[in-house]
Amino acid sequence: MSEAGPLLLDARGLRKQYDTREGARITALEEVSVSLADGEFVSVVGPSGCGKSTMMKLIAGIVKPSAGEIIYRGQVVTRAQRGMGVVFQSPVLLPWLTVLENVLVPIRVLRMDRAPASARARELLELVGLTGFESKYPSELSGGMQQRVGIVRSLIHDPGLLLMDEPFGALDALTRERMSLALQRIWLANRKTVFFITHSILEAVFLSDRVIVMSARPGRILQEFTIPFPRPRDFDLTSTAEFGDFAREIRHLLGASVDV
Amino acid sequence: MKARLREAFWLLVSAFVAIGIWQTLISLTGLPKYVLPPPGAVWHELVAGLTADPSSRASIWYQLSDTLVATLWGFLLGGVGGVSLAAVMAEFRFVQKVLFPYVVGFQSLPKVAIAPLYVIWFGYEMEPKVAMSATLAFFPVLLNAMQGFVAIERDRMELFASLDASRWQRFVMIKLPSAAPLIFAGLNLGIVYALLGAIVAEFIGAQRGVGVLITQLQSVSDTAGVFAILVVLAVAGYVLITVMRLLQKHFVFWQASDTPPDAS
Repeated sequence: MSEAGPLLLDARGLRKQYDTREGARITALEEVSVSLADGEFVSVVGPSGCGKSTMMKLIAGIVKPSAGEIIYRGQVVTRAQRGMGVVFQSPVLLPWLTVLENVLVPIRVLRMDRAPASARARELLELVGLTGFESKYPSELSGGMQQRVGIVRSLIHDPGLLLMDEPFGALDALTRERMSLALQRIWLANRKTVFFITHSILEAVFLSDRVIVMSARPGRILQEFTIPFPRPRDFDLTSTAEFGDFAREIRHLLGASVDV
Repeated sequence: MKARLREAFWLLVSAFVAIGIWQTLISLTGLPKYVLPPPGAVWHELVAGLTADPSSRASIWYQLSDTLVATLWGFLLGGVGGVSLAAVMAEFRFVQKVLFPYVVGFQSLPKVAIAPLYVIWFGYEMEPKVAMSATLAFFPVLLNAMQGFVAIERDRMELFASLDASRWQRFVMIKLPSAAPLIFAGLNLGIVYALLGAIVAEFIGAQRGVGVLITQLQSVSDTAGVFAILVVLAVAGYVLITVMRLLQKHFVFWQASDTPPDAS
């Protein structure tokens, strides 16, 4: 188990309601509180529509909460934070830019120094096995490679907190496993705080220090699990009895909540 | 390469067949020359018009250059105006709410009907032609660009929102390139309409231009001459469209691939 650092993010009593076009009010998220310690890898699992993505957007400052507040590094979050990196479900690469230019988009937006960022981009691309692809365009890459570029882009401006919204959701099972290993490698190399949203129980347990299990709409936190396995972890771990116990318990919890 | 050669071959064959039918029709029906001139007469007029002294009014080049200058200026003004207004309307909802009814109203108006007014306002030189050309080019560009600015992937906007990007950054780095394929769709229509606008203005009243030449030839029933100019205009239009396509390919090279790989 990793040492929990000082508190990085504290979200208290988050609620998010939407008004539909028919005038009905939908509660996507209800009374959710979560805190992240510096350097911690925390996953959220839950059924579709449990407000996982909404929670991430609230933390990212893209969406405003209906109630509750988010404190990041001691400051109340009211707008998007430059100290956060976001990875979306799809890679969201810009097709008119090369891989390297895509990775450097945050540097351009944040008006940071380009030269050291380029060097860092090459290092990160190497870490995810994309050396030699710098000047390719996204359309020349496979889905898994594109998503890796998206992850590198989210890290390029050295954010303190990485928010990932089902980043491997669109990939095939084999690629997902490889991506999980790549993400672990990145995490061990950088020790960012990661807030990882997934509907894969296996992925959550494999990658995390802590797994938060959520219920279906309105999204609530059902239970939290602390995952004690030492790192680096490999996929043999997933067939051990201890790992299986965690996975089973989480699955039962979700099964009691709703069909996943 | 082989496929291209075969295409060119059949194109030539079909052209010969069409000209053959044309000639046969005239021989069989005895249609007078001023109704349907024989292909040979059209060819003769074409060669005469193209080889005449380029500074004389009989030269097709002399007339066409003036029409094309008006077309390009009109296209430039209409294109820049269309994209700019679309951008402003997409960025500021209020402007869109106020202006959109006028756009719809103008769009429903047969715009060539404004041409006589332009002649009154701007005279018989280049200005009314450019104005008419710009007016016709403006609307397809505006409407396509508006659609382009509105239909931007939500994920792209959220990526930039997560970086707290400024409005200007969002516009330049995301909205403009995302809208580029549709802007070009509008420009491809715009260039054709620009040529149409210039010729319409020349019909109404101008000193010089292909439209002027057509009306002059028409007044003396020189049908073969009119046909020759139509051939020239078809070629000119084809060249303009081809240039636009090449520009599009260059600037929007990613267009074919701009669909998310996991759109499923």
